[in-house]
Amino acid sequence: MNVATLPPQEEIRTTPVSERLRKFFSAYGLWIVLLGLPVFYGIKDLQDEGDLSRLGNNLFAGLSNGAIWALIALGYTLVYGIIELINFAHGDVFMIGSFVAVGMWGTVGLALTTGTLGLIAGLLVTLIVAMVVCGTMNVMIERVAYRPLRSAPKLAPLITAVGFSFILQNVGIVWLGSSQKGVPDLIKAQHVLVSVAGIDIHNSDVLALAVTAPLVFLLTTFVNHSRSGKAMRATAQDPEAARLMGINVDTTISLTFLLGGLLAGAAGLVYALYQTNVWYFQGFTAGLIAFTAAVMGGIGNLKGAVIGGLIIGCIQQISDNRIGAQWTPAVVFAYLVLIMVFRPQGLVGEETREAG
Amino acid sequence: MRSRTIVATGCLIGGLAMGVSACGSDSNNNSSGSGASSGSSELTIYSSLPLQGTSREQSQAVINGEKLALAEVGNKVGKFTIKYVSLDDSTAQNPGTADEGQTAQNARKVVQDKSAIFYLGEFNSGGTKVSLPILNKAGIPQISPSNTYIGLTTNEPGSEPGEPNKYYPTGKRTYARVVPRDKIQGAALVTTMVEDGCKTATLWDDKTTYGAGLARNIEASAKAQNLTIQDRQGTDKSAANYRSLASNVKSDCFVWSGVTGENGVQVFKDVAAANTTAKLYGPDGVAEEAFTNPKKGGIPADVGARTKLTVATLGVKDLPDASGVLDKFKATYNTQTVDPYGIYGYETMALALDSLKRAGAKANDRTAVLAALFGTKDRKSIIGTYSIDPNGDTTLTDYGLYTIKNGLPSYEKKIVAQA
Repeated sequence: MNVATLPPQEEIRTTPVSERLRKFFSAYGLWIVLLGLPVFYGIKDLQDEGDLSRLGNNLFAGLSNGAIWALIALGYTLVYGIIELINFAHGDVFMIGSFVAVGMWGTVGLALTTGTLGLIAGLLVTLIVAMVVCGTMNVMIERVAYRPLRSAPKLAPLITAVGFSFILQNVGIVWLGSSQKGVPDLIKAQHVLVSVAGIDIHNSDVLALAVTAPLVFLLTTFVNHSRSGKAMRATAQDPEAARLMGINVDTTISLTFLLGGLLAGAAGLVYALYQTNVWYFQGFTAGLIAFTAAVMGGIGNLKGAVIGGLIIGCIQQISDNRIGAQWTPAVVFAYLVLIMVFRPQGLVGEETREAG
Repeated sequence: MRSRTIVATGCLIGGLAMGVSACGSDSNNNSSGSGASSGSSELTIYSSLPLQGTSREQSQAVINGEKLALAEVGNKVGKFTIKYVSLDDSTAQNPGTADEGQTAQNARKVVQDKSAIFYLGEFNSGGTKVSLPILNKAGIPQISPSNTYIGLTTNEPGSEPGEPNKYYPTGKRTYARVVPRDKIQGAALVTTMVEDGCKTATLWDDKTTYGAGLARNIEASAKAQNLTIQDRQGTDKSAANYRSLASNVKSDCFVWSGVTGENGVQVFKDVAAANTTAKLYGPDGVAEEAFTNPKKGGIPADVGARTKLTVATLGVKDLPDASGVLDKFKATYNTQTVDPYGIYGYETMALALDSLKRAGAKANDRTAVLAALFGTKDRKSIIGTYSIDPNGDTTLTDYGLYTIKNGLPSYEKKIVAQA
């Protein structure tokens, strides 16, 4: 029988290097990942160009681009939070929002020659119409394709969502054809409004942030403080308990889809004005990015969706500008993987039934 | 945990959807033998072009030209009656270009038709990469009205490893084209930029077979002509915009090697906004109204004014022999303008019919027709006098330079490329 030899006390107290590294990365890994690209390129810019204006331009363009992704991501996260469904059709509802907006420009007579006041009035009308159409459509999709499957296995509504996504894409093809379609640049999207410390602020940046910020504020206020918002949160936590407490769960879920659709409609208009082109497939691409943003931020969490959208916008701009556009999707998803590794619940944390 | 499983499943479905849409079938299950002879007095000439999306108008021009040439001979060559069948190689989901799955389907359909004697297409080089091996196995002669990708016929710089032999599984050539290959177009674009005073250029391509191949030729020619390529990028069709990428364009000139359907309009808009002084250049892949006409979703007029395009077609003033055909074209199709590809469509069919005529009584024998096609020498045509070399390339080398006027490509002059 061998007698075990105990290591000296000093060795027990000394933590192995690998363990210390693991602890370090657990504590700071997420920050290293998030700040890696901007810090690296910031240092490089200071060395090469002597200032940070290039990085500033990247980040500001990223925020305005990301604001659109955030609006769409909110729709994904709202629906996921309440019924744990990835609404694949949501991106295509956003695409229909763009198409409705572009159609409305013609109806209300918006053109390149329209004056500023006429343009603002016309765009407001367009915004309302696009939001109402998309909100209504989202509610109808829920009523037709998801509600009958409420007690079915989880994969059933997932597949009907994919089905509705394809249906809407085909509606888009019939509507405006199957190629990217340039639309009038009503707001002179790339006109530099003002330059601050070498950072160019374009008309399109102002538009994206001016539409997104109030809508996000209104949404969070509604969800956090209104009676219906509380009903939404209660339903998200426990639908059965919410029902027992007198909440009409079906109506609450419909309301959630309505809110998601309204935001998608607004995002559709902003996208058309910002990018000056629309096409039937934009919803698929944007939907994938927005869903990634929602997961990155923490699925089911409104703040997470917004933060995820803004971060992805910044990563895309930095990658496009510094690494090469062909690498951008890989860089974005590498970020997603790393963030999930360090923080599986997303940056802000999940707000789902399982997550609590 | 369950929620994460659902999220993971969602990601998987999304990924699969992307994968499925990105992959086309290229299976090849034809059974016809090489050099088959129909033995029939009725022969069929197929055309396979993208009839949906941004290339629709150019494809229609090709079809009109082909039909006109066929109508001129009364749909007959010798004792043989010729039937014309137009196929669409694009799909609603993949418009404006050849969809790989649909193109393979078209080629297999033609292979199964014993009366098939010619296949006129594809419009896009990427499509021909798919249809050519299928048709080659069956020995069906193929002529493209528009392919310029170098690797379809030669292994010159700009081609990929294994090209062009991998497109000819029988080892025999069955493919020809009536437009000069991209070696010439690349040189034409660089020659134009140098003539316009460009010292530096930014080169982007759309990552298609055509776009990436042409870009390699532009790079090679730029090196030979002392034009510095400052930045070389590939663009993603589904990107929402290219603003961040465009902010790197600091050169005198910008050249896009791609087609309209790969988001070409957005590329030019973003580059023009980011660099307000750069001269802009594009190849024949964007020489269409969907790109040039702002009313049809094309680039804005101010961007068009800065843009020059190269097209394998010369203007009427440099094609004296084409005027008669152009008059017929206008009268037949009740149009004031003729898309340059209408002329090439006409010549594609005329070359096919000429080959059948030279095959004589053996015009229903694909082997004899192929011999006649590759025996084309000093053919006097509406696009000039040319021969088909053993690779299947035309001996024509002139390119046309176009500017954009009133939303349409407008011929300026002939470019004698410094290859």
